[in-house]
Amino acid sequence: MKKTAIQKISDLAAELLEKGTLVAPIKEDAGFNFREISDAKQVDLNFYNTLMSPKSAFFPQTEDFVRYNKNKSVLEAQCVDMNLGPVFLFGVRPCDVKSFEIMDIHFSGTGAVDPYWKKRREATTIFGYAFDPNAPADGADFYSTLGIGAADPEGSDIFMIKKGDDLLFKAVTPKGENLLASLSSLADASKDEIKYFDETVVSGRSFKTRFTCVDTKVIAKKLEDIFHKTEFWDKVSEACLSCGVCTFVCPTCYCFDICDETLFSQGVRRRVWDACMFTDFTLEASGHNPRTKVYQRLRQKICHKYSFHIRKYGVISCVGCGRCTRNCPVNIDIFSIVDEALKE
Amino acid sequence: MCSNNPYIPMPVEIIKIIDEVDTHDIKSFRLKFLNKEDEAKFKYLPGQFSELSIYGKGESPIGIASSPTEPGYVEFTVQRAGAIQPGLVTAALHDMDEGAKIGLRGPLGNSWPIEFLEKKNIVVVGGGFAFTTLRSLINYMLYSDNRSRFGEITVIYGARTSGLLLYKDELAAWEKRDDIKTIITVDKGDETWKGREGFVPAVCKDIAPSPKNAVVVICGPPIMIKFTLPVFFELGFSKENILTSLEMRMKCGIGKCGRCNVGYKYVCSDGPVFSLAELDELPRDF
Amino acid sequence: MSINFKKIEDSLKAEAKKLLEEGKVSIVLAYKKGYDDKHPMPYVARKISDVENIVFNEYCTANMARYLVRYPRGTKIAIAVKASDSRAVIQLIQEDKVKREDLIVLGIPVYGMKNFKTGKTIDSKTTCGIYNPVLYDVLLGEEVHGQPVVPPYGVLIEYEKIDKDARWAFWEKEFDRCIRCYACRKACPMCYCDPCFIDQNKPKWGEKSPESHGNLMYHLTRFHHLAGRCIDCGECSRACPVDIPLYLFHKKVAKECEEMFGQAAGMSIEDKPVLVNFRVDDSDKILE
Repeated sequence: MKKTAIQKISDLAAELLEKGTLVAPIKEDAGFNFREISDAKQVDLNFYNTLMSPKSAFFPQTEDFVRYNKNKSVLEAQCVDMNLGPVFLFGVRPCDVKSFEIMDIHFSGTGAVDPYWKKRREATTIFGYAFDPNAPADGADFYSTLGIGAADPEGSDIFMIKKGDDLLFKAVTPKGENLLASLSSLADASKDEIKYFDETVVSGRSFKTRFTCVDTKVIAKKLEDIFHKTEFWDKVSEACLSCGVCTFVCPTCYCFDICDETLFSQGVRRRVWDACMFTDFTLEASGHNPRTKVYQRLRQKICHKYSFHIRKYGVISCVGCGRCTRNCPVNIDIFSIVDEALKE
Repeated sequence: MCSNNPYIPMPVEIIKIIDEVDTHDIKSFRLKFLNKEDEAKFKYLPGQFSELSIYGKGESPIGIASSPTEPGYVEFTVQRAGAIQPGLVTAALHDMDEGAKIGLRGPLGNSWPIEFLEKKNIVVVGGGFAFTTLRSLINYMLYSDNRSRFGEITVIYGARTSGLLLYKDELAAWEKRDDIKTIITVDKGDETWKGREGFVPAVCKDIAPSPKNAVVVICGPPIMIKFTLPVFFELGFSKENILTSLEMRMKCGIGKCGRCNVGYKYVCSDGPVFSLAELDELPRDF
Repeated sequence: MSINFKKIEDSLKAEAKKLLEEGKVSIVLAYKKGYDDKHPMPYVARKISDVENIVFNEYCTANMARYLVRYPRGTKIAIAVKASDSRAVIQLIQEDKVKREDLIVLGIPVYGMKNFKTGKTIDSKTTCGIYNPVLYDVLLGEEVHGQPVVPPYGVLIEYEKIDKDARWAFWEKEFDRCIRCYACRKACPMCYCDPCFIDQNKPKWGEKSPESHGNLMYHLTRFHHLAGRCIDCGECSRACPVDIPLYLFHKKVAKECEEMFGQAAGMSIEDKPVLVNFRVDDSDKILE
């Protein structure tokens, strides 16, 4: 186990910058966000959780596929190479680390393999970061309901826990071990600190956020049963604006569009985040749209994440990070809709 | 990044364009792969589809109209879309000439379940433009090496007018064969039409295929499906033995972008072929 | 004079109960408690038993007028409005999206509303600065008097000192952060077009990906579509998850239109919409 003073985190950041690309939280006007770091001093761990989720490290909002020229032959179109060196994703909370595993099942674990997700995952070393034991939740999140502990190291390559003014580092995977051994800006941790680390992981598991645990299979079945109960969906969607904020901030939402974006004759085919909440998401060329009403789109969102995804992949498409609730312009508390559904 | 990347289309050339209908908005495009390796890898079964790609416009999911027993090319029958908003890809495709090069991703989706259909009597029911993958299935079954694997084949195909029937030459050829029963109908015939008149549901009732050891494979506009299904239920066909192909807005075609789901299934990868029994289990969200 | 939010809440509940009991309306658009007291949600009360869920506090910033177009024409609706919300109602009546006789407007005179994301007080910097609803059938509290009358365009004084090139650079930088979530469009009571111009593909007005040029196209065009219609409620600015100062835009557009045509949006149901109405003495500045 290693450690460093939080004050000196920029030394570690500088070392990582020399080895590859560093993506870490920095403070911006609207909140903290994961960004590619150019200046080691920018790294700031003084946050509860970031505004946007770190899914953009593996599933960026735009991902270029092919560059083409409209006036030239299709044979001259250029496939875009990713050119990835090692990437360090630094400061990811346990719920967000769990989201990567859930997205793995969709992008590379079932059916066709998404090469972009896979390559980015393979190139990245994850530094997970436990929630502060003194402030493990705010009003919006509910990760313990989904079986995620406040200090769960699983899924990270290296896991960090705060102890007073220090940061403790433990390798979780061989990838993490190799990296940790190579870092010179970290000191060795003491026996006490090792003990504290292990105890915090354990106590993190018993920390309870809001909402009570329910078996995900029960949730999945209940939502399936009330799918056609229009009065319920009308009621829970009455405030919903049907914008796209919840989808874009969510770590486990993966809908995307494929767009050909051309300026004069040069263009790029790329994928771009999309949202099932958008009015024209399912609009067909014939003019038919199965989901014209807000309640139909909100029903799709809830049922997909809390029912269909469980049916298809065996896991719930949610990690209880609370970003949807925190950022909803009308304060809709998405998991409470699931709660209400269970009472129907 | 290019190889084994399911998002990158393979280059193909349009070697033949066939004008299918008298309104000139449905054309068949015969495509040939420009790379031999792509051609070798492209193994498909009737019922599957591909994404036809035109850089600068986008992609369009189109059912494969040729049968895998027709070597050397893959054929797609494409309607120029434009009910509400003009379709970008299909319009561009329609404006192309033979020799033009486009892209193709596929084969995608599941197919008509050939094993399930073997040794059974097949009733193929189609309406209007939705006949494309049915034609692929019929040609596959009629192929000399395959014919004996299937029982009786009955085809009931209708269009609004005779000019709107697809594959007119092939239909005529099937009518001459004795190993397939071909019933063509139009809603309203003109003076030159010597064949049957009547809506597809009524014709199905008339022909009354037996449900014994039989499977119905049906594709058509929603209104046709709505009135034809009750006919087959009355005839005694069970929902496991009625198969259809769904259409939804698609983008990736490989079950990743999340757009085409009906319940927990993605139409592009778990479908587009479903039995009515399977559809009953899914929410009515299409 | 300070605002007694609890008293307003009680009046709102009483009025809602009365209207539902008498069958004068089929729905009441108001607010209810969200996941905590500081995060209320828009609420639709349909039955008398729903009324007890209604709340009103300083965090009830949502402009309920945006929900009016969701209900079939002829639905009798009671709607709780603050000053700028009432202007949205008037503007929707001017544009014939809703009929005056189908509404019972419950006006709430108030100041000291707070942004539930930041906790900061909302003033005329980001909203229209009027305290008393311009249109109402019932006033749920005492009219506000004695509060400073602040011009709604005060915040533009500094902004207009910046030269055009610097302003363009400023907006390019701001819109670099836009993630195209369209919360601004959906929060706006006047953005009811279906399909919205940005969703069309023939012609394609702007690309889907959140790059500067597409973002600028979307926002600039949206605000042009709002010229003479935006009632300066500030909901778009508050809805934005990345805090883009959209209020500078809507105030600038509102100011230009008011100066050119001598009419502010949503102030009287007798007015005709500014850019629809032709008057012989209209300013020719727009042709310059």
